Amino acid sequence: MATIILLSFLFQIILVIALAPLVTGIIRKTKARFQHRRGATVLQPYYDLVKLMRKDVVVSSVASWLFHCTPFVVFSSMVVISLLVPTVVTPVPLHWVGDIIAVIYLFALGRFFMALVGLDTASAFGGLGSSREMSIASIVEPAMMLAIFTAAVTAGSTDLSVIVDRLSTTPASMLNPSHLLAFAGLFVVSLAETGRIPVDNPATHLELTMIHEAMILEYSGPYLALIEWASQVKLVIFLALMANMFFPLGMATTWSPSALAVGAGAFLLKVIGLALIVALVESTNAKLRLFRVPELLVVAFILSLLSLILYFIVGA
Amino acid sequence: MIPVHLPLVELLIDIFAASILVTAFLIVSSRSLVFYIRLFALQSLLLGMVALLVVIGYGETHILIAAILTIAIKAIAIPVVLTRVIERIHVQKEIRFRMSITASLMFCGGIVILADSVAQSILRSPHAEASAVTRVLSVSIAMMLIGLFIMMTRQKALTQIIGLLTMENGVFLSGLSITYGMPLIVEVGIFFDILVAVLILGVFVFRINKTFESISIDSLRSLRH
Repeated sequence: MATIILLSFLFQIILVIALAPLVTGIIRKTKARFQHRRGATVLQPYYDLVKLMRKDVVVSSVASWLFHCTPFVVFSSMVVISLLVPTVVTPVPLHWVGDIIAVIYLFALGRFFMALVGLDTASAFGGLGSSREMSIASIVEPAMMLAIFTAAVTAGSTDLSVIVDRLSTTPASMLNPSHLLAFAGLFVVSLAETGRIPVDNPATHLELTMIHEAMILEYSGPYLALIEWASQVKLVIFLALMANMFFPLGMATTWSPSALAVGAGAFLLKVIGLALIVALVESTNAKLRLFRVPELLVVAFILSLLSLILYFIVGA
Repeated sequence: MIPVHLPLVELLIDIFAASILVTAFLIVSSRSLVFYIRLFALQSLLLGMVALLVVIGYGETHILIAAILTIAIKAIAIPVVLTRVIERIHVQKEIRFRMSITASLMFCGGIVILADSVAQSILRSPHAEASAVTRVLSVSIAMMLIGLFIMMTRQKALTQIIGLLTMENGVFLSGLSITYGMPLIVEVGIFFDILVAVLILGVFVFRINKTFESISIDSLRSLRH
């Protein structure tokens, strides 16, 4: 029993955390293809991380202890979340620790420290990034809560493993209108949360537009690598949430090798498919003006709200 | 035609009805006039699909003509006319709002809840039978109210037309949901009414633009003097 638990921890960590840079690489490659460039290899994010790990850290003389501990807080919160999110097999390794609400607040913990560290070094850009991040987060969080609650209400539980199990046993409910709307809402929320293009541009350091990049502008070397890696993991976690909370096809429920193989294959297909959709959205849309971002997020919020209302109208 | 009560048909009706509601919300959330018209075309197409599903699932063949007319007139003819009007008057965007987009979306969310409670009280009467089609009633009431809301809060004459058409789609949908569609003669009458109304309104918009150099309905007040 103990070995199985240990094994499940390792499996999940390897799958989510080690594969995260690859997913980012796939998105970048797809975007490059859309722009008629050849683009860097899909393994480039790994090389970047290794290169950053080898470099020295430059720390501002006014930086406090927050500056040193934030990368670890952010990364470890992502590691814990990745053990809470269903990927290949249910129940998830840490299912006795917390449910979907714990996941949302672990995200909030990482964001809180990032915002603090943006202010810590007193650089003009850091504060700007923090204020933008927090104002966007204040709209993103309720929208995300509502979208997730729709799935939770459908399954009658906020435990992610239970949600996945219930959905797997009644596949027809995956096509409920309320379910589809909640998925659309969560998709927009994910774009905002992971700093993708209509909200934030992950590829630029232009002062007028950056949000996430502004907060981490002071970071270098291994610290930067940890934070970059954490945001790549965050993207994979969101893709996994979307894929498995709404379409848990092919999820393994036992630890037999064949079920695991099917589960892992389905997970990879779903995550890469969603990553391609994200790349498509990024390639076909322009970044919104900052003051238009709340409109987009309110659309996401309303979609989630509608899905919850429709759940009670249609009565799934 | 033998009525076939397929759960699949009911599921599809639910999905299309939900998508219709989403298009109404997207109309409220956008600024570009071209986008309004495209969304309206999509909305009418989905409405036609719902009508077709009622034909297939419940064997109501008299809806078939209404469904085809919906797709032909509302999803193709009216959008084409309105797009022509936009091309000729060179007005692309709704700029000034009486209510911000964010507030409008919130308000429309409230409208849906209100519409649902109204629909529930109608459906609670002993004569109502529960099916996927009657469930659509709350969506149709919400559509009528959102159409009215668009007419109240937007300023361009073209947006007024879109609001009116959204309301009309709501009326069609409610007829569909309560009685599986109104008698054909009524439907056909409404269709030609709408088509002619849009043609005339299109000409009106063009004339208004020529006279006032804008299609903002606020300028129309000066007619009173």
